[in-house]
Amino acid sequence: MGEREYLEYYALNRRGVSGWFKIRGYVLERKLYLFHRITGILIVLFMLPHFYSTGWHPGLWWDALLGIIITFHVANGIRLTLLELLGIGIGKPLLVKKPFQRPVSIEGKQRYLLALTILLFLVLAIIWSYYAVLVKPLMGG
Amino acid sequence: MMEQSSIDLWKPVKVVKLRVYKYNPKKDFFPEWKEYEIEVSRGTTILDALLRIKEEIDPSLSFRYSCGQALCGSCAMMVNGRQMLVCRTRVLEVAHNRDFIELRPLDNFSVIRDLVGDFTPFFEKHRAVKPWIIRKDVEELENPTGEYRQTIEEYARYYQFTDCLKCGACYSACPTVATDHEYLGPQALAQAYRYMVDSRDDGLDERIAIVDSDHGCWRCHFATSCSDVCPKYVDPGQGIQLLKRLIVRRKFGFRPHKPAEVLPSKIGEVKRR
Repeated sequence: MGEREYLEYYALNRRGVSGWFKIRGYVLERKLYLFHRITGILIVLFMLPHFYSTGWHPGLWWDALLGIIITFHVANGIRLTLLELLGIGIGKPLLVKKPFQRPVSIEGKQRYLLALTILLFLVLAIIWSYYAVLVKPLMGG
Repeated sequence: MMEQSSIDLWKPVKVVKLRVYKYNPKKDFFPEWKEYEIEVSRGTTILDALLRIKEEIDPSLSFRYSCGQALCGSCAMMVNGRQMLVCRTRVLEVAHNRDFIELRPLDNFSVIRDLVGDFTPFFEKHRAVKPWIIRKDVEELENPTGEYRQTIEEYARYYQFTDCLKCGACYSACPTVATDHEYLGPQALAQAYRYMVDSRDDGLDERIAIVDSDHGCWRCHFATSCSDVCPKYVDPGQGIQLLKRLIVRRKFGFRPHKPAEVLPSKIGEVKRR
């Protein structure tokens, strides 16, 4: 980068992709946002050889990792769809606020949905890993 | 334990280092960090500390502030990497287990000088969602015969979002704004929702055309940092999700409210006893 680019970089003060990774000190939902982005990109990368030959898969432990990536993206995607399109657990705007009240959208019922999402992710990931690591090699896959 | 008198509150209790971002894009090539040591008492806010530095140590330090009581939203900046209003945050609150505080201008706002960010794009986006009441009955607006009736339930739908200070903390914390600079941002979208559910407003479809766009509300993926950092607990994250739900429902023909009736004015009719 030249002088002009450096000046623009500091003067514009834009976080860019590093803004996604700035998760320290923020709520859990922001961490899930980052994981959702990363897993989404990784799935796209997997899709390229997968579309070339649909029978292709990366291998024993890589299969389990692929399962973790896809099940997380699916479970979190279901949660986001329910939240964004149907507004489940998002709560109502408040008429009277206490002086130091945490936001309803963070502390409200959507946290139960978040717990369910993580549970769903764990169950799906364990089933997929069990299949990929133990069952599939026995079947000669 | 001895009871503390009110005078003790002003006694210096700790020496704190303030690492402040110094940068003038018109003159400097790189930004630099300057450290100032300052004695603080229990009640010293970061704004107090900055003002004392400006008066006693470094008059060239630039920062923006106005009311000093968390009502104007001018003094938002990054304190130890998190968006805060410095007029409301006490030094010891953020430095209780460390001896320095790091102050930066808000992320995603271009730097004018030191801790001052440029809010022009932020306010332009706010203006883009038409943050005013749009009415179709021009005759009533020109020659008002009364006031618009609104129930407490209708008022409760949007009251929370009227507390917005436009301090830019939510816009700065949003990870989507970090990569998509044309994204309207949490503040503008929450304000769009605030006017769309107001029963006195007729501009629902007009605003849907603005927010239901490429850089509109569908870019939000519920990272909730906006609600997390909001100093007035406005909860823009909730507003955006409700806005998305409203748009989905609108596609099925739903309207959030009936148009507000005009309540005939009683001025002049009330008799004094």
